[in-house]
Amino acid sequence: MKTRLFKVVGGLAALAMVAAGCASEDASGSDSEYHVLVLGGISAEGVLADNASTSVLSAKAGVDLVNKNGGIDGKKVTIKVVDDQADPTTAVTKLREAIAKEKPDLVLNSGPSTVADATLPILKQNNILSFNIGPTATSADPKAFPLNFDLSASAQNQLDAFPPYFAEKGYKKVGILHGSSSYGEVYGAAAEKTFTAAGVDVVANEEYDVAALDMTAQLEAIRSKSPDALVLDAYGAPLGYVLKGVEKLGWDIPIIGNTSVAATGLISTPPPSGVLGTPSVKNLVMQVYKSTAHDDAATDVNDLVTRMKAIDPIKATLIVAYNNDALALVQAAAEKAKSTDPKKLAEALIDSSVLEGATTAIIDTYRFTADSHAANPSADEFAFIAPGPLKDGQFQ
Amino acid sequence: MTLIWGGLSLGAIYAIVAIGYNIVFISSKTFNFAHAQLTMVGAFVAYTGLVKWHLPTVLVLVIASAVVAIIAAIEERIAIRPVGDMHNILVTTLGASILLDGAAQLTWGSQPLTVPFFAGDSAITLFGGRAYPVELFLIAIAVLLVVGLGIYSRRSLTGLALLGMAEDREAALLRGVNVRRLAFMAFVAAGALAGFVGLFVGSKTFAVSTLGAALALKGFVVLAIGGFGSMPGTLVGGTLVGLAEAYASRYLGGEYANLAVFLILITILMVRPAGLFVRTKERVV
Repeated sequence: MKTRLFKVVGGLAALAMVAAGCASEDASGSDSEYHVLVLGGISAEGVLADNASTSVLSAKAGVDLVNKNGGIDGKKVTIKVVDDQADPTTAVTKLREAIAKEKPDLVLNSGPSTVADATLPILKQNNILSFNIGPTATSADPKAFPLNFDLSASAQNQLDAFPPYFAEKGYKKVGILHGSSSYGEVYGAAAEKTFTAAGVDVVANEEYDVAALDMTAQLEAIRSKSPDALVLDAYGAPLGYVLKGVEKLGWDIPIIGNTSVAATGLISTPPPSGVLGTPSVKNLVMQVYKSTAHDDAATDVNDLVTRMKAIDPIKATLIVAYNNDALALVQAAAEKAKSTDPKKLAEALIDSSVLEGATTAIIDTYRFTADSHAANPSADEFAFIAPGPLKDGQFQ
Repeated sequence: MTLIWGGLSLGAIYAIVAIGYNIVFISSKTFNFAHAQLTMVGAFVAYTGLVKWHLPTVLVLVIASAVVAIIAAIEERIAIRPVGDMHNILVTTLGASILLDGAAQLTWGSQPLTVPFFAGDSAITLFGGRAYPVELFLIAIAVLLVVGLGIYSRRSLTGLALLGMAEDREAALLRGVNVRRLAFMAFVAAGALAGFVGLFVGSKTFAVSTLGAALALKGFVVLAIGGFGSMPGTLVGGTLVGLAEAYASRYLGGEYANLAVFLILITILMVRPAGLFVRTKERVV
């Protein structure tokens, strides 16, 4: 009887020890370290992989900077990269695994909106502070996700920078050509609304099928309305078809491309592979973040490029290097909050003094508010530049 | 006229893809859904030969034809021959097309690549309209292919054997035609053709990994309009689809281009279910 009692007590003690061990594993990392988890589709295909690689690289460069400046609230920052293959199902599985093993203090979501949609509820459930590149309908809504902040600019932010450029160039009538993708359709409608509200006459708003091989017909339709300039949303081969169409028509019109145009390799590659420096692009300017156009005077950006290059080559444009800024923002927020508690950090991140003081590089000043956790960069953050060769993630 | 040149050249590309579909269909009554992807590979090989290796155009055309013919031969051995049922072949060739899309993206990336054209990349004015030289070449190639294949199928022994196979496979077999070998050779020839035209198609559309998917559906629509197995039908179908796309985009808006094409397809199939150039035949059951 006594032996059986000892066995039962011994078994319960062993169970308690196992449970204690599990509990300690579930908790956040040790007090002296601040754990950052980066989700990225490193093994995705083509451009997605290059984008993910650059996002991850910027996170590593951000960690280096923050640690060099004393860490986050005095804690050394450690980084763990998880390859989610840009797939929501994989991202959810790997995020849950990572949380069960060692709950991160901060998650940087470098993937598309679909991954953000799938992972944000898990992050909210676990009270984890997060930054997100691919915005969803609710990702910037503090009521839905109080601990998440969106890093990228919305289509509206980008469009708000156009009217001042039109005024500078004296364009009073513009035509719009956009793709049939969901982004393209939203962009086309928002562009017309924004330009009209700014007093610019939108004489044509044409759509093209993103799988089409020739856009000459749409260009002819726009040309018949005699606009002063053409606003263009295009990425990949469709951009090439539009440029070919304009050249074929012999149409001498200024073309203002959006950030999708800037992301297409064709225009930053010289012939014979690309069209850089050819008559096709002589009238083209494209919208970029100021940080994506090389400027010797931009010390924060140049420092970021140096830090990134010291780790690995930069494969995509700096437009996806937001993760560096996320770490700088958290460091500034922790200094203000004097804590790494996610709720206190989130409160500090809507303080304008914190946002202005953070040493960010991609966007100069993020404008998170109590009502919106969207980056909401001002029109001054953008520039319109002629195509140039891409070097170290920047147009030269 | 610029619109017409654009529509005709686009229609010519669709017609060339449809001709490739037809060659395989006539010889083996099956569809090679990967044929558009073979054309895409031809464009990439042409890019590599011209831009990376700086080879002369004629040599590039030969290499592209040979490379794509070999890929087609491998496809026939793996995705067609071991599969007996025709319906299953639709699935296996679709699988082959997905494989080729992925392989092209891994090899050449996902950004569009310029394929230089030997007759120049500057637009010219012709009959009051503007067109690139490659667009005129594409129209000429489509017409020459249809005329040439028409003559070949009626004047050569192989051509007659192929027509015989298309008519009655078993009867052709009884008359001593090596049906299996001929079907294989037709498949390889269609591949060689796809490789050859890759340079011309790529010069207009860029070499890009989404090209196969963009061409496959429209090529099939052209085939359905003209009639399965009809070479002249591909020309008429291509012209209809190309011009419908161009005019709908110009006067109704880009969102109506596909709608116009499928409206034409449905109307034709309602009037002539076997396509414009193929008569419905009675068969003994």
